[in-house]
Amino acid sequence: MSQSTTVPPVSNPGQTADPATRALRPRRRKESGGHGEEAGAPAPLWAKIVITVLCLGWILPVFGLAVTSLRDRTDAASSGWWTIFTSPSQLSRLTVQNYVEVFERAPMAQAFVNSLAISIPATIIPILIAAFAAYAFTFMEFPLRNFLLVVVVALLVVPNQVAFAPILNIYGQLGLNGQFVAVWGAHIGFGMSLAIYLIRNYMATLPREILESAKIDGASHFQTFWKLIIPMSVPALASFAIFQFLWVWNDLLVALIFIGPGDNAPLTLALNSLLGQQGQGDQLLTAGAFFTMILPIIVFLSLQRYFVRGLTAGSVKG
Amino acid sequence: MTITILNALIAVVGGVVGAVVLYWILNKLTELLPSKPQELIKPYVFILPAFAALGFYLVYPFFQTVIYSFANRNSTEWVGFDNYTALLGSPGFQTTLINTFLWILIVPTFAIIFGLIIATLADRLRPTGEKISKTLIFLPLAISAVGAVAIWRLVYNAVPANQSQTGVLNAVWTLFGGDPVNWWQISDGKLNSFLLMVILIWTQAGFAMVLLSAAIKGVPTDTLEAARIDGAGEGKIFFSIVIPQIRATMLTVFITVLIGVLKTFDVVYVATNGNFGTNIIALNFYQALFVSRNAGQAAAIVVILMLVIVPFLIYQIRQFRAEEAAR
Amino acid sequence: MRIKSRQGRAIGALLTAGLVTVLTAGCLQQSGDNGGSSASGGADDGTVTIMYGFTDSSSDQFKAEIKKFTDAEGINVKFEPTPDFNTVISTRVSGNSAPDIAIFPQPGIMKSFKDQLTPLTDIVDKSNLDKMVPGIVQAGQIDGQQYALPMSLNIKSIVFYPKGPFEQAGYTAPATLADLETLTNTIKASGTAPWCFGIESASATGWPATDWIENLLLIQSGPEVYNQWVSHEIPFNDPKVVAAADTMNKLLLTEGNVNGGRQSIASNNFATAANPMFNTPPACYMYRQGNFVARDGGFPDTVLSNLDSTVGVFPMPGQTAADKPVLGGGDLASVFNNTENVKKVMNYMASADFGKDWAKANGFISPRTDFDKSNYPNELTKQMAGFAYDSTSFVFDGSDQMPGEVGSGSFWREMTAWISGSEDEKTALDNIQASWPAS
Repeated sequence: MSQSTTVPPVSNPGQTADPATRALRPRRRKESGGHGEEAGAPAPLWAKIVITVLCLGWILPVFGLAVTSLRDRTDAASSGWWTIFTSPSQLSRLTVQNYVEVFERAPMAQAFVNSLAISIPATIIPILIAAFAAYAFTFMEFPLRNFLLVVVVALLVVPNQVAFAPILNIYGQLGLNGQFVAVWGAHIGFGMSLAIYLIRNYMATLPREILESAKIDGASHFQTFWKLIIPMSVPALASFAIFQFLWVWNDLLVALIFIGPGDNAPLTLALNSLLGQQGQGDQLLTAGAFFTMILPIIVFLSLQRYFVRGLTAGSVKG
Repeated sequence: MTITILNALIAVVGGVVGAVVLYWILNKLTELLPSKPQELIKPYVFILPAFAALGFYLVYPFFQTVIYSFANRNSTEWVGFDNYTALLGSPGFQTTLINTFLWILIVPTFAIIFGLIIATLADRLRPTGEKISKTLIFLPLAISAVGAVAIWRLVYNAVPANQSQTGVLNAVWTLFGGDPVNWWQISDGKLNSFLLMVILIWTQAGFAMVLLSAAIKGVPTDTLEAARIDGAGEGKIFFSIVIPQIRATMLTVFITVLIGVLKTFDVVYVATNGNFGTNIIALNFYQALFVSRNAGQAAAIVVILMLVIVPFLIYQIRQFRAEEAAR
Repeated sequence: MRIKSRQGRAIGALLTAGLVTVLTAGCLQQSGDNGGSSASGGADDGTVTIMYGFTDSSSDQFKAEIKKFTDAEGINVKFEPTPDFNTVISTRVSGNSAPDIAIFPQPGIMKSFKDQLTPLTDIVDKSNLDKMVPGIVQAGQIDGQQYALPMSLNIKSIVFYPKGPFEQAGYTAPATLADLETLTNTIKASGTAPWCFGIESASATGWPATDWIENLLLIQSGPEVYNQWVSHEIPFNDPKVVAAADTMNKLLLTEGNVNGGRQSIASNNFATAANPMFNTPPACYMYRQGNFVARDGGFPDTVLSNLDSTVGVFPMPGQTAADKPVLGGGDLASVFNNTENVKKVMNYMASADFGKDWAKANGFISPRTDFDKSNYPNELTKQMAGFAYDSTSFVFDGSDQMPGEVGSGSFWREMTAWISGSEDEKTALDNIQASWPAS
């Protein structure tokens, strides 16, 4: 282990789920946040300008969507969204009609529940499975270990399109298509190699001494895993969780193929169904798109503090 | 509605608990063995479910796909290399191939560049400013591709010259006297492909930023201080100290975004359906499988996609081995 | 020889079995209402699943129309609307969970499922089919056997115009194709673009242009040649097709003939392309499109609320005044799993009772010539339905009947390339011909 094995926390110094983790964290460099503040030198003006411009550029399209989702169809088709600032008469025509219509035309509430029922297990189960595998790859010695690890890394880049046709056939024989299990399985399989890779990278940075002492205390691997390693890996697990969750939540293709329309359809399919075959419903899409964003943003904001630290641990060292 | 929620809840809890119970049972079963074979078997028990999932969802389909790629559209007869020769001989597919290569090269690279700029600069802001700017940059990652294209349509849209423009880009363009341009249809210099890549870069930069930011903060302050005392300029510090320190993270980001790009078919599908020379392999595959209903050709397309990725794969494994050796 | 490896399947199934044990809870769900839609589903509980490709308000109207019948009969129905119909139907069939009834928007896709579909010979009474517009019934046949039932009809060879300004300017509906050309030039001479035109339709961009070619080929060469072309008995780039493309070029792509110019066509959404027609003064005077643009989501709301007083229509004229060929389309209902209930629903959809309320809501035109016209909510729809019922020949949209890689692929794509000027007419037609699948 060369340099800093753990990335110092960013905005909430020292805050993790388990106090034990803090005590265990080896050779912490510093408790403070960014490099800028403690040097006493505030960011130079140009840096502030550049970052402001970038942030504005990044958020402007989203803002345009927000405005458009509140305009009525004829207005949206005949002038740009920014014109509400130049011709204030339009302000009086802003309406939540699009949102109302989205809920009338598509079963958004049910789709929302379905999305949760798909996303939560499709996030937690692969993490659990990957954590076990990562543990074995990090802390256990066994024949073929390195070979199997290389297999995992190689599978990182196998596109998941390969699976569509063959899996569809097998699912068909088992009658699984259209079930939540069908997509859970697919997301578990498709996310597995990345999960193992990232979680193992993190676990490799945990001090091995803890494991040794646990062994002396007579703890089994299973106990060590649950009681020690999982709590210590929370940042990595939470980070992967966010990205897996976002992938699954926003996935259209896997849901389209393995679930399709019907009672189990998630939000992405419901949103897509707002688009009529003859192109109607563009204006509803803006409102629908906004609605689907809400939950991921809440998830991000609430888990933010974990995942700024999680994923890169282990790969930080030079 | 309550039944739906209840059902979903049962599914969620059952699914998660089921997975935990499976491990518990597997563990109990191995513990029944005497300690010697138990030590031997346990690692495999721990990795078994993971490899079962990988085997079922990637390895088995991988071989199946390779086999199908040598068969006809219904997978009923062998056709040798026909699918490959037909694909590689068609100019449309050559464009698709070139586009795909550009996508997997450019999107991760620019996501990293933007992520790096923002991470570096935000690192020097006060905590509130840093938090706000990071959240704003991250926001697009929460948007589905269908939504993202809806958003960028408001940027790239073009309407006939005698009406008022609804796309930001054309509004500015016509303000300076230009004629409205159908940005998504200009294939000269792959402009439209690049404009579509912008959408994905826009969503992925937040991801890159978050990871790189953590890495940058991990660069020991004393190293930076020492360099400053030695009189090194900020630029020099950045390129000769920070960058080498975060190289491994950059690779992780590159690979992760690359995987994201491979999955991406919906951006192009919703925006242009691959018209105007913007097609990429993932979409081409979808079209072959579900529009042409030609399983053989679809399989051949994926196999070619995998061949395109092989260089990245080799680099990834090498890098990984080197990292392991250094550990 | 079947080469789907049995061994591979077995291994896969074994692995799945392992996975399934992991995910027991998800399977419990299955015992609910979902597992039933597979092949055996219909027989189990009598539920009829219907999958179709139209969404938004049409879907609601369709559901209501079906419910009216099935509630009275005590039949359970499950509706599965999806805008990605072609994808979903493929996955459902290969995933062994096809719906009982599928309503195909495109006969070409329907035909690719010939082996899985049940012929309608013993399902739908022939007397029902005999009452329908002949051309659309043929579109549901494979090798002379009826596999699909026309559920609804749409008419694509319609020219819309802004009633007031059009009449004030002294223009009249043309009786022949030559008159249409003259009218085009007259309007152009007045300083306004004669045509509105837009072919943007998100991932289906290009299809409105295919309708133009088809319509002109039908007018200029007649239904026999048209059908030969559709079934590829004559090459896609036959001189007769080139002639149709030339006419389209003359009418639309000549400088000054289209509002916004040729460059705007490919990015102008087809549903809103006609909106400038209702400006004062109109920015263009004519828009050839299907009857569905005169519904919610198409013309501006202000126009839709006064349809009869603001919009006029005339059919795309034939070579002679007596010649009235019509290009149209429709939704075709096919059966994957035949049961008594499915049979009832199918015959109901074929009856003259089906679609009355839907028609009143301005969303439906019946394929039956004996459908009570008073159900149509406005003069405009009555007029448009009349075009179909009175046609000298009715042909089904060609691109919808061609193989997927042409009809929903190269045809759209190459038309777009030609119109946006990145290819010339000949290259475009030749490329489509080259893309026709071998078998």
